[in-house]
Amino acid sequence: MPGSPVLDDVIINVEDHGGRGGGSAPPPGGDDGDGHGKRRRFEPPSPKRYYTGIALGLVSILMFFMALSSAYLVRRATTAQWIPIRLPAILWVNTVILLASSAAIERARKHLLFGDFSGFRSSWLLTTGLGLAFLAGQLIAWRQLAAQGIYVATNQASGFFYIFTALHGVHLIGGVTALIYVSRRKLDSAKVPLAVVADVTSYYWHFMDGLWIFLLAVLYLGK
Amino acid sequence: MVAHDSQYPPPKKRALTLIGGAFFSSDHKAIGLNYLWLALVSVFLGMGLSLLMRIHLVWPGAHIPFASGLATTPARYAALTLLHGSLMVFMVLTAAPQAGLGNYFLPLQIGAREMAFPSLNAFSFWMTVFSLLGITASFFLPLESGLTLWVASVALFCIASVCTALNFSVTTIDLRASGMTLPRMPLTVWAWFVTAILGSLIFSILLAACALLLSDRMIGTQFFDVPLLSASATPYAAGQGIPLLWQRLFWFFAQAEVYVAMLPCFGIVSHILPTFARKQVWALRAVVLALCGVGLFGFCIWGYHVFQSGLNPFAPPVFAVVAESLGLPAVILLVSWLGTLWNGRIQLTTAMVFAIGFVSLFIAGGLSGLFLARRDLAEAAVNDEFITGHFHLVMGVAATFAILAALFFWFPKMFGRRLNETLGKWHFWLTFVGVYFVFMPMHWMGLLAHSGAASGSSLFPATSITVMRDFITLATTATVAVQVIFFFNFVWTLRRGERIADPNPWRASTLEWSVASPAPADNFGAVQPVVYRGAYEFLSNGDAEDFLAQNLAPQSADRNEQALFELTDREGKN
Repeated sequence: MPGSPVLDDVIINVEDHGGRGGGSAPPPGGDDGDGHGKRRRFEPPSPKRYYTGIALGLVSILMFFMALSSAYLVRRATTAQWIPIRLPAILWVNTVILLASSAAIERARKHLLFGDFSGFRSSWLLTTGLGLAFLAGQLIAWRQLAAQGIYVATNQASGFFYIFTALHGVHLIGGVTALIYVSRRKLDSAKVPLAVVADVTSYYWHFMDGLWIFLLAVLYLGK
Repeated sequence: MVAHDSQYPPPKKRALTLIGGAFFSSDHKAIGLNYLWLALVSVFLGMGLSLLMRIHLVWPGAHIPFASGLATTPARYAALTLLHGSLMVFMVLTAAPQAGLGNYFLPLQIGAREMAFPSLNAFSFWMTVFSLLGITASFFLPLESGLTLWVASVALFCIASVCTALNFSVTTIDLRASGMTLPRMPLTVWAWFVTAILGSLIFSILLAACALLLSDRMIGTQFFDVPLLSASATPYAAGQGIPLLWQRLFWFFAQAEVYVAMLPCFGIVSHILPTFARKQVWALRAVVLALCGVGLFGFCIWGYHVFQSGLNPFAPPVFAVVAESLGLPAVILLVSWLGTLWNGRIQLTTAMVFAIGFVSLFIAGGLSGLFLARRDLAEAAVNDEFITGHFHLVMGVAATFAILAALFFWFPKMFGRRLNETLGKWHFWLTFVGVYFVFMPMHWMGLLAHSGAASGSSLFPATSITVMRDFITLATTATVAVQVIFFFNFVWTLRRGERIADPNPWRASTLEWSVASPAPADNFGAVQPVVYRGAYEFLSNGDAEDFLAQNLAPQSADRNEQALFELTDREGKN
């Protein structure tokens, strides 16, 4: 009776198989790392899923911002009277801060790699601080624009500037939350290894960094 | 004993339970069922609305109890159309075949214990519930605030869909049981996987469009140059006066959304046909490539909806070529379905007849779709009844047939009971005839309108159009009424239908049939299944046991050995 694993009339006979079901050869095509004569038990799924997850998630986020920036370019090309806005100078400072935070998170990961937990901690907190500084800088940029009388509904260019910075900011707030969450974890937390969480968070963080530079380039070059 | 690891604690009894098990669970089976319930409610609601629309179209003054005030003005009628469309497209066509059936069966079919991110899965479901509530509530609000709520609800649905898509992709990539290589994956899993990737791309685009639209409506920006979705706009001026930017963003999403809804249905049909034809899938690899091709081309043909509103003059031919080339994977799928049926030992179960009905509708809709891929014809036909008929026949009805086929097929696995076959057959035949009576005249009316326009004078008296309208409305009423058979069958079977003790009543070969029915809370128990072969190994030996289950070990001389050991192993644990 192939294909019907639950049988009600079989004679159970276990003596000469040594706990090994299914056959002696490893299943063709599958990974067979730990199949040494034991039946495979359910293990927690490998942390690889976090890496796959963040990679695919970043593709979604990229698509989101691509749609926004293509909307910007289409609108820019089809608007008869496009009034560009002057980008506040503090944006360049913010960009440097964000780049520095990316460097800091790499340093933190290197510390973790060499087992230097306190070094990791301090670099990680530095990253968090720089991230918060970037967010504060973006708010200052908004206030500077508002002081010049440029609000979100003033014209199309200002609308896009505010929307881009706001949506990037929302994603960055998510990143800062992740940073804080990681920094509050113990080194040997049972669920997911710290290295995995740190890796995944750093990928997200670098992506936000690159995304900001891309958005800034679109706003600056496309004005 | 490692039956329960730290990652997946044993399922607890929740205090708050509702229909169909734990309502607040993050178990993939509970969530899948919840999505199916949600879709079931939405489909009956949406069907009622379509009936209401038809009646208002034919007898504008008709008085219907409880529903007379719903479509008194053109704006209300448009709101009714919007509610019907958003319920059907988002909550039924997108949610049921992918999030509903996919959540339940994807982990089971690949031999996984759970989805990759169970909490994210629960989050997606709740976002979808809020989205459904928002969309429904928006209908009852004043038009302007209702539309804002509607856009916000759609944005919520986008977030939910992106998270679901992420979960599906990661689960398929990383959580397959050992031996479950990509070529061995069932075609349903392939379809869910391709759909997930497509969905994670396009729902982000709709989310961006919704974000821009919301900021236009709420904080006064002017991303779209004329006010979009406002009470002053005439409801039927679709395509005219809609900002080009919105059209681009929207169609980038919406054209691919058709394939997000259809791809899981292709997968389901490709899965059910070989099971009941007792034959291997004809040209399996080509089918896998075709599924990927539908996803790829479907992502690239958005531009052909913007033909009307002007593109770069070189763009339409390019998009037309890509749109026509979508015919290639479609033909591969069709040929494979027919090739699988050819010379098969066909068992005409209700699931099978619905799957074959799908193939029929696919052919009918595909033929009318060929007209629309041509630029000049598409320009002429947009906005008339030809399009309405084509769209509903392919996307609405065909997808519903696939979902029904899947329900009849997997009902024993989900509930341990079998839907009544006689009632199922009656339901199938009456619905099958009914939908052709509803939607074929619509094609005809579209053609009539154009023949009149082309010759300069109407060849057909206006009365023939009126007669056809009346006929369609009567056919719609009858077809909707027939759905009572299904509803009765469903509810009756849940309570006192025929119990199925055999975990594999259809003699199917994939992994979900190797566990008890309904599927146990921990899926496969403590032992991970091992996969040794492809998903559709049916033998032509004429035995009752004419198939090789995916988890059946190849080298055991006695084929029962594998099953025996699973049994002993499990009993050793308990």
